[in-house]
Amino acid sequence: MTLTATKPEGKVLIKGNYAIANAAVIAGCECYFGYPITPQSEIGEFMSGKMQELKRAYVSSESELASINMVIGACSTGAKAMTSSSSCAVSLMQEALSYATAEELPVVLVSVMRGGPGLGNIYPSQGDYNQATIGGGNGDYKLIVLAPGNVQECIDLTYKAFYLAHKYKNPTMVLADGLLGQMMEPVTFGDYPYPEVDDSAWALTGAKGRGRRVIRSYAPSADDQCVFLNKLYAKYALIEEKEVMYDEYMTEDADLIVASFGSMSRNVKSAVKIAREKGLKVGAFRPITISPFPNKRLKELSCSAKKFLVTEINMGQMVRDVRLAVNGKVPVEFYGKGVGSMIDVEDLVDKIESLIEV
Amino acid sequence: MATQVFKVPDSIIKDMTYGFCPGCDHGVAIRLVAECLDELGLKENAITATSIGCSVCLYDYLDVDSVEAPHGRALAEATGIKRARPDKFVFTYQGDGDFASIGLGESTHAALRGENITAICINNTTYGMTGGQLGPTTLLGQVTTTSPTGRNVEYYGYPIRIAEHIALCEGTAYSARVSLDSVANIRKAKQAIKKAFEYQLKGLGFSFVEILSTCPTNWHMTPQKAHDRVRDDMMKVFVPGVYKDVLQKV
Ligand SMILES: Cc1ncc(C[n+]2csc(CCOP(=O)(O)OP(=O)(O)O)c2C)c(N)n1
Ligand code: SF4
Repeated sequence: MTLTATKPEGKVLIKGNYAIANAAVIAGCECYFGYPITPQSEIGEFMSGKMQELKRAYVSSESELASINMVIGACSTGAKAMTSSSSCAVSLMQEALSYATAEELPVVLVSVMRGGPGLGNIYPSQGDYNQATIGGGNGDYKLIVLAPGNVQECIDLTYKAFYLAHKYKNPTMVLADGLLGQMMEPVTFGDYPYPEVDDSAWALTGAKGRGRRVIRSYAPSADDQCVFLNKLYAKYALIEEKEVMYDEYMTEDADLIVASFGSMSRNVKSAVKIAREKGLKVGAFRPITISPFPNKRLKELSCSAKKFLVTEINMGQMVRDVRLAVNGKVPVEFYGKGVGSMIDVEDLVDKIESLIEV
Repeated sequence: MATQVFKVPDSIIKDMTYGFCPGCDHGVAIRLVAECLDELGLKENAITATSIGCSVCLYDYLDVDSVEAPHGRALAEATGIKRARPDKFVFTYQGDGDFASIGLGESTHAALRGENITAICINNTTYGMTGGQLGPTTLLGQVTTTSPTGRNVEYYGYPIRIAEHIALCEGTAYSARVSLDSVANIRKAKQAIKKAFEYQLKGLGFSFVEILSTCPTNWHMTPQKAHDRVRDDMMKVFVPGVYKDVLQKV
């Protein structure tokens, strides 16, 4: 295991998992709680040493049920706290994530996807797009979900996750995959670029000199619950208005737009470049926030593009969101692969050619 | 001159409506917790992670900062609170189903890690809030809505002795079982709760009190009969006493 300096100077070559962990430390994460699972175990390993060295809180928890609830406890005091996990283990956290949205707590969760369903395998996959954006917890709730496409973004979006979680008091997930977690790239860390959010109006500190505070999800009446849900959904509308992020490449005059997220977008960009050299009018679109999803921008693009192709390392999950955004205006095709490495650039180019020729 | 014979503890909210069933020991237990918070001056420094069950009503009565944990996870949340803010006084108040069934993993590991927090567990031999089903402490032979002919070993196995279990964990500083069946035992219960709180204040590790309690509604008994059952049946299996005390070498 390589422990980097807390704030490495200049460019460093680093694995995605270590990049996320070190960024969390720089972001001021006060508490890390975790249980091992491949392909993200390096995050917990790094944190075990670093947090103790810095005299911050670290618990090697007994399960993911415990880790996520420890994060909730720490967050209830206003602390910056996180856990990290993967796929089948993130499944165990769904109840707590539902509680944390209802209790409006700034939980930060890093999910590094592996193959599924069930135990699946440890190969890269994007099969937890639905788990992240829809979730398996009960009731009406949403997470903020940020999907990095390279190791630098693993850092930038980890910073952003802490900021957004505290700014909006909503659980926020960084959704990476095994490829990003294990891949090394040159990156810079810099300083945590966001202001500290003041939590003194709600955090539990003991009721000294003020009335006691209760952070709870239980709503005594149906009316109370409706009032709360309306407030929650007004918050989600605000987040969608202010925080949507996406990346576009040569979409202005594109007849075909290839949409993908996370590490799959890397090969998509290469394929689009090659197709352009062949004279094909194709562009690439990548949501960086997958929740909230860039609905508005995709709707706009559906006025100029004639067709969309969605590629994912799963059986077709984000494609549903693209279809909802495009709303039948133009056809939306899917090209995917259950699990494993990213789809080859050559195969993508072939697919693009076949769709443009039609 | 008038002397005050009754005072609502400062740590109890004044304008609440009492919601527990008649004869339920939750009310007595919460009062004891409140008296101990008062006497040790902890009200303004305390944070509690509440549990799911009739015990969740703690936040309707106790005037302290609280966060509501999912069923069974109170000690994970309490761990998070204490690790984030070690200077706060942190405790949980949980039912036996919450503590020893769905949350047994969290409970055991909080004790094994020696988390410097206090857990109070109400053992009423049933899941009270959901209508009196068989739980982890239901006595052999006991009729519940899911053991219609009584708890038998063939279908249900054995009840857990919680205070003994927690005493076996090395990080436990104090583990005791008390009962609320008589005035003398209520006094002892308060001493145990106070001691558990003091052990946290001294930084000794995990402190735990199991309280044998009534659930007259689901036991289908009058309050008096329910307390007789605690004495005659429960205390024979769940024997009150101190099972671990690091300062007394018990
Ligand atoms: C995960 C989950 N499972 C089940 C329930 C339903 N439930 C609510 S309270 C309760 C039983 C609580 O029993 P206990 O902890 O013994 O406390 P008591 O009500 O007896 O005080 C159950 C099963 C729930 N809320 N969450
Ligand atoms: S159901 Fe049982 S435990 Fe719950 S309040 Fe009534 S008597 Fe008490």
